[in-house]
Amino acid sequence: MASALEHFVNNVTSLSSQGNYSEVVKYVSKSTDVLSKNVAHLDTVLATLQPQSHSLGVVAVLCVRLQNTTHTDANIDTLHATVAEFVNVCAEEQIKFAPDMMAELCGSYADLLVAGNCAMRGIEVLSTAIRKTQDSPLHLTSIHAHLLHLCLMSKCFKPALKFMDVDIMDISKERGNYDVKHFLLYYYYGGMIYTATKSYDRAQYFFRVCITTPALAVSHIMLEAFKKYILVSLILEGKIGKIPKYASLVVTRFIKPLSQQYWDLGTAFTTNCPDKVCAVINKNQETFVRDQNMGLVKQCLSALYKKNIQRLTRTFLTLSLADVANRVQLSTPQEAQKYILHMIEDGEIHASINQRDGMVVFLDNPEKYNSPTMMSQLDKEMQLCMEVERRLQTMEEEIVVNPQYVQKVLGPQDDEGPAPSSAQSSSSSSSSTFNIVSSM
Amino acid sequence: MPLQVQQGLMQNNVEPMVIDMAVEENDNTEEEPVIVESTSLDLETYANCYTGLAKLHRLIFIADRCPQLRVEALRMAIHYVQTTYNVNLYTQLHRKLQEAVSGVNAGNPSLPDIAGGQVGGGGMANLPALDMQWVESRAKKAALKLEKLDTDLKNSKVNSIKESIRRGHDDLGDHYLDCGDLSNALKCYSRARDYCTSFRHIINMCLNVIKVSIYLNNWSHVLSYVSKAQATPEITESRSSNNKDQSAVIQTKLTCAAGLAQLATRKYKLAAKSFLGAQLDACDFPDLLSTSNVAMYGGLCALATFSRLELQKNVISSSSFKLFLEVEPQLRDIIFKFYESKYASCLKLLDELKDILMLDMYLAPHLNILYTRIRNRALIQYFSPYMSADLEKMAAAFNTTISALEDELMALILDGQIQARIDSHNKILYAKAVEERSMTFERSVEMGREHIMRVKGLILRSALIKNQIHVKSPPREGGGGTGGQGGGDVTMAATNSSAATPRN
Repeated sequence: MASALEHFVNNVTSLSSQGNYSEVVKYVSKSTDVLSKNVAHLDTVLATLQPQSHSLGVVAVLCVRLQNTTHTDANIDTLHATVAEFVNVCAEEQIKFAPDMMAELCGSYADLLVAGNCAMRGIEVLSTAIRKTQDSPLHLTSIHAHLLHLCLMSKCFKPALKFMDVDIMDISKERGNYDVKHFLLYYYYGGMIYTATKSYDRAQYFFRVCITTPALAVSHIMLEAFKKYILVSLILEGKIGKIPKYASLVVTRFIKPLSQQYWDLGTAFTTNCPDKVCAVINKNQETFVRDQNMGLVKQCLSALYKKNIQRLTRTFLTLSLADVANRVQLSTPQEAQKYILHMIEDGEIHASINQRDGMVVFLDNPEKYNSPTMMSQLDKEMQLCMEVERRLQTMEEEIVVNPQYVQKVLGPQDDEGPAPSSAQSSSSSSSSTFNIVSSM
Repeated sequence: MPLQVQQGLMQNNVEPMVIDMAVEENDNTEEEPVIVESTSLDLETYANCYTGLAKLHRLIFIADRCPQLRVEALRMAIHYVQTTYNVNLYTQLHRKLQEAVSGVNAGNPSLPDIAGGQVGGGGMANLPALDMQWVESRAKKAALKLEKLDTDLKNSKVNSIKESIRRGHDDLGDHYLDCGDLSNALKCYSRARDYCTSFRHIINMCLNVIKVSIYLNNWSHVLSYVSKAQATPEITESRSSNNKDQSAVIQTKLTCAAGLAQLATRKYKLAAKSFLGAQLDACDFPDLLSTSNVAMYGGLCALATFSRLELQKNVISSSSFKLFLEVEPQLRDIIFKFYESKYASCLKLLDELKDILMLDMYLAPHLNILYTRIRNRALIQYFSPYMSADLEKMAAAFNTTISALEDELMALILDGQIQARIDSHNKILYAKAVEERSMTFERSVEMGREHIMRVKGLILRSALIKNQIHVKSPPREGGGGTGGQGGGDVTMAATNSSAATPRN
C-alpha cells in the first residue's frame, strides 16, 4: 500500500521538476482512487511534497484529505492551517493547469468551515485562491460562490464586495467542470449580500441575472432568487420588476405560479394602499417567514410609505404633517415626520420641515446639472458606456471573423452541397451568441 | 383578477340568449346595478319612442333599476308583448309583476297609489292577469307559422330559386325574432347571406344581423357587420332622389349601430364621432335607438373626450348635429355651458340629468366614467390659462369642498393631466414650470445606467451560452424533469443559503 503512495510521490516530483504540468494533471487525476484508499497516510505524503514546487500534487492530496474529514476531527485546526498555508504559497502557474481541482479543494474547505461554524477564517484564503485561479479579474470561477457563502455565513461582506463590484465578463471553463449551480449560487448569494448592504440596484441586477439563466428545469436557487427579485424590485422601483424577454419559459411557466404569494404582494403594492399590502402580508405571513424573507417584506412596507410620500412631493408644494400622515395612512404626524426626515437625509426627497406650524415644504431638485462635479460625473458615466460598447464591439468582431460562423452564414447561399454537420454543431454556440449580439 | 373574469363568464352562461360573448363584454355584467330611487322620467313618452325588442328590453331594464316605475313599466311591457309571439317573455314578465306587486304591498303601502293611479284608479284589480289561454293559442299559432315558413323555405330550396330562399330565410328570421328566439334569428339572417344577389340584399342582411347582434349585446359582431355593410359599393352611390333618402337612412343606421358598439366597448371617442355622423331626418329606427338617444350618447361622449377645438368644430357648429341637440335642449345647454366655461351650472345640469340617464340600458354602465371624464376635462380647462389659482374660488366654481377638490387635483396631477402643484397651506394651485434641461439630463443619465446594465448582462449571457451553461434536470431523474424535484442537490444548497440570509 505504502508503495503505491511512494510511487505517486515519485511521479509527481519528477514530472513537476520537468515542468510538464499537463502531464502531472493527467496523472494526478488518475490517481485519486489510490489516494482515497490510503487516507490514513496522506499526512505523511503532504509532508513529503513541497506545496510550492509540487502544487498540483498537493492539491490532489488535500482534496482527498478534506473530503474524508469532518469538522469534529481532532487535528482540524492544523488541517485548516495547512490549506491556508498551501493556498498562500502554491505556484500560480501550476494551479492554472487544474482550476477544477483547486475549486474542488476550496469547496470542501468552505463546507468544513461552515460546518465548524468558523466561516470567517476562510474568507482571506478563498480570496487568494480566486486571485490565483482566475485567468483575469473578469473571470468567474466556482470559488466565487464558495467565498460568498462564507461571507454570508460570517456576515462579513466587505471582502466579497471587492469581487462582486467587478462585472463578470467571462466564465472559467475549469476543464468542463464548471457547474450551473455555482453560477446560480454566485448570483443568488451576491444578490443577498447586496441586499444586506442596501445596494438594491446591484442586488436587483444580480437576482435578475440569476433568474434569466437559461434553464430547462426548475432550479430551487432560481425560485428563491425570483422571490427575492420581486421583493427587491418592490423596494427599489415600487413595482414588480420586468422579467426580461430572454428569460427562459420555465420562469413564467413554473416559477411564477410557485411564488404566487409574492406576486400577490406586488399587485397589492401597486395599489399604493398600505392596508391592502398589510392584509396580504398577514395572510401569507407563514410563507414569508418560512422562506426567511420576512425582513425584506417588512422593508417593502416601509418602502411603500416612502413611495407614497414621494408621490406627494409631485403634487404638493406645502402640506401639513398631519395631512401627510393622513394621506399616506401613517398613524401619527410624528411618524410622518420621522419618515420625511429620513428621506431628506437619504436625498430621496427635497423638502424642509417647519416645526413651528407643522408644515412640510417640498422643494425642487436643487441639482441644476451645471456644476463641474456633475460634469465630471457625467463624463465618467459616458466613459463607462463607451467601455462596455467597445467590449461588445470586440466580441462582435470576434464572432464575425470566426470561420465557422462565416461558413454558416454563407452556407445557405451555396446552391450545392450540404454544410458539414460537425462544423454546424460546433459553431452553433458561437452563432447563437451572435444572435444575441445582433438583437441588441 | 382571473377570479373575477371567471365570475363574469359564469354569469354569461346563465344568460340564455347569449351565444358567444366576447371577453370585453364582461364588464357590463360585473357592474353593480345602481338602483334609481326617484326619477322624473315620463315612461309613456319614453316607451313610445321604441318598438319591438328595444322597447321590451328598455322597459325591463327600467323595471329592474327603478322601484318607483317598476309596476308601471312591467304593465306596459306585458301589454306590448301581447302583440308579439314572445310567449316566454310574457310568462316571465308576469312572474316579475307578481313579485313586484307583492313586494310593494309588503314593503311600502304608499306606492300602489301611484301605480294604481296611473293604471286607472282600479288598484290591483286592474293589473293584467296571467292569461293562460292566450299563451296556449299564441304558442300554437307560432308553431304553425314556423312550420309554414319552414315548408315554404324547403320548397324554394327544392326549386332552388335564390331570391325566394333568401326571402324565406329572412321571414323565418323575422318570425324567430318575434318569438324572442334571438340565436335562431341570428342564424337565419346569417344564412340568407349565401343567397344575396344584389348589393341591396347584402345591406339588408347586414342590417338584420346588426339588429339581432345588438339585442344580443354581441358588439364585435355588430362592428364587423357595420364595416361589411359600409364596404358595399351601392351604399355610397345613388341614382334617384328616393334612393338618396334611403341610403342616408341606411348610412345613419350603420353609424349609430357602430357608435353603440363603440360605446359599449368603452371606445368613447370613436363612439362620439360615429354618433356625430348621424342625420336627424334619416334617423328613424325605433327598433334600435331614438333620436334623443343618439343626441345624448353622442353629446356625452363628445363632452368626455373632445378637446375644446374639436367640440367647437364637430359639435357646436355642426349643422347636422345641431338638429339633434334641439331634440334634447338640456343637453344643448350643458354643451354650451361647458364651452362657455360655466362649469358649475354645467355640472349641475348634468347631475339633474343623471337619474334619467341611469335608466338608459346602454348608457348606465358607462355613465359614471363619462361623468368623471367630463369633470376632469372641466378641471383641466379651468386651470389651463392660469399660473396660479385660488383653490377656494375653484371649489366654488365646481360645487365642491376644498379637500375634495384637492383629492381630485392630486389624481389629475399624478396622472400627468395637469402640470401643477398644490400649496396646501395657502390653498393655492401653482402651475409647475417643467425644467426641460434638468429633466433631459436626469433622463439621459438614467438611460445610460440602464444601457450599461443591459450590455453587461448581454455579455455575461453570451459567456453563459458560449460555455453552454444552463439548468437542466439531473439525468438520474429520468426525462420528465419538470416541477419541483428537478435538482435535488441544488435544493440542498438553496436551503442552506437561505438559512444564512442576513436580516436587517
